Amino acid sequence: MQPTSSMKEEFLKKWQTGLQIFRPSIDNTNVTERKKAIKLSADVAMASLRKGTTCWSRALIQKTAAEDNFLVRQMLSGIKAETLINKKLPKKTVCHRKIVRRSKKILLRRSRSASEEAAAKAKKLVKRRTQGLRSVVPGGEFMSNDVLLIQETLDYIVSLQTQVNVMRSIVDAAEAGIER
Amino acid sequence: MDLTGGVGARSGGGGPCREATGLESLHLGDEFRQLVTLPPENAGGFTALLELPPTQAVELLHFTDSSSSQAAVTGIGVDIAPPLHSFGTLAFPSNSVLMERAARFSVIATEQQNGNVSGETTTSSVPSNSSANLDRVKTEPAETDSSQRLVSDQAVENQSPCPSQNNRSGKRKEFEKKVKSSTKKNKSSEETEKLPYVHVRARRGQATDSHSLAERARREKINARMKLLQELVPGCDKIQGTALVLDEIINHVQSLQRQVEMLSMRLAAVNPRIDFNLDTILASENGSLMDGSFNGTAMQLAWPHQAIEAEHSYHHRQLQPPPPQQWPFDGLNQPAWGREEDQDHGNDHNNLMAVSENLMVGPAHLHPNQVKMEL
Repeated sequence: MQPTSSMKEEFLKKWQTGLQIFRPSIDNTNVTERKKAIKLSADVAMASLRKGTTCWSRALIQKTAAEDNFLVRQMLSGIKAETLINKKLPKKTVCHRKIVRRSKKILLRRSRSASEEAAAKAKKLVKRRTQGLRSVVPGGEFMSNDVLLIQETLDYIVSLQTQVNVMRSIVDAAEAGIER
Repeated sequence: MDLTGGVGARSGGGGPCREATGLESLHLGDEFRQLVTLPPENAGGFTALLELPPTQAVELLHFTDSSSSQAAVTGIGVDIAPPLHSFGTLAFPSNSVLMERAARFSVIATEQQNGNVSGETTTSSVPSNSSANLDRVKTEPAETDSSQRLVSDQAVENQSPCPSQNNRSGKRKEFEKKVKSSTKKNKSSEETEKLPYVHVRARRGQATDSHSLAERARREKINARMKLLQELVPGCDKIQGTALVLDEIINHVQSLQRQVEMLSMRLAAVNPRIDFNLDTILASENGSLMDGSFNGTAMQLAWPHQAIEAEHSYHHRQLQPPPPQQWPFDGLNQPAWGREEDQDHGNDHNNLMAVSENLMVGPAHLHPNQVKMEL
């Protein structure tokens, strides 16, 4: 599952339109703002590749829309920007902390054998890693079940690889242009 | 329409029998003939029958009950069977199967007689529906083998050498589930067609209640996805253990995100105006872009302003790199940046040379005061 060239081309096109939209506002800015603009447009381009079918792309679009609403609206003009931006994410599951703690105490009270304890520890490790993954993938906290989370992570990684590949080739080309 | 109407409609299937024994009313006989020509699983035919006045339907019911010689008439399922048997030319889909399983349907029938039945659809659809169910149950294990192998790992493959026992038990389980669902939820035939299945089998010694089955299915799904992820993330396929794999995945995602940050920073620093001519790059360098390598020819087009800027603000250059605390990434990348700057200074003469060329070719839109603004 490597990023395909068609995906790269599409990403490049979308990114370019984003940069062109940015152009007037960017001309007179410093490096950090330019960098922010480049990153935002690249993110939106990446997310719009999926056309809102995946959870992470929706979350990413919403996040970028909070930062720069105008740009996102312009870039997504082709594919129903409003519905994408305002699309509701699945509900976050919230559990009461006190209740969770109490139930954990009850669970701890039971004496367990060594193998059970090891299994519990492994489970805890995996759970912590899953939480970490949730915080890394955009919109991960909305993905209630693990299957969905892993699926979305798969898709997100492929998209990220596309983004990185295209951006790297552009940057390399740009720096080659300087050295010349 | 209530239960009696439905039963009347059912018994109408055996109309010609009655004709033979000598039923009086002519128009009724005609209707029956029409009905016989209709295939019984066609629901429209039954609804047409159901439009008979209820009194007539009840009459017919009583008549068939008395005329049919079978004594043990407990429910609908058994009730249908005798007319079917006596009337072979009728287009019921699987006569033998129905006869075979008639005893099982008595379960449904009695439950329905107990008063679970709400409308005509269930009563009319039960026999055809259940026969379809039977067929499906029979054919299912054959199709599931392929689909299951996708999702689950060795668990299925371990079982496939000895499919006969498992198949049979699975069949029975599914059949029982079917019966339960059809009696409980009162579903029409289309809904049962759409019912999603979770194909799970238990190995010997594994729990078979629905919760653990569902849990096992979920775990198998997760494992399959994790395998895909392992293939995707480089250097991850040799690692054992879910926690370590997840660690690696998190690291990979974070490194990719950091790379995006870094690349956009580099691009922003390298190019003061980011609208470089991607179109020309795409047109001329489409293939090489995908490989990740460029020839500089296309970039020269896109690069005039850089050269001009270098010409205008050579002495301001030292101030231009951003202060170090703005860099979101650590020292690894900074040496490269410094090198780049040095090259910029060193290549100043070359840039000046390039300007004269580029001004002819590419559009150089640069306001002189823009350079000052950037400081």
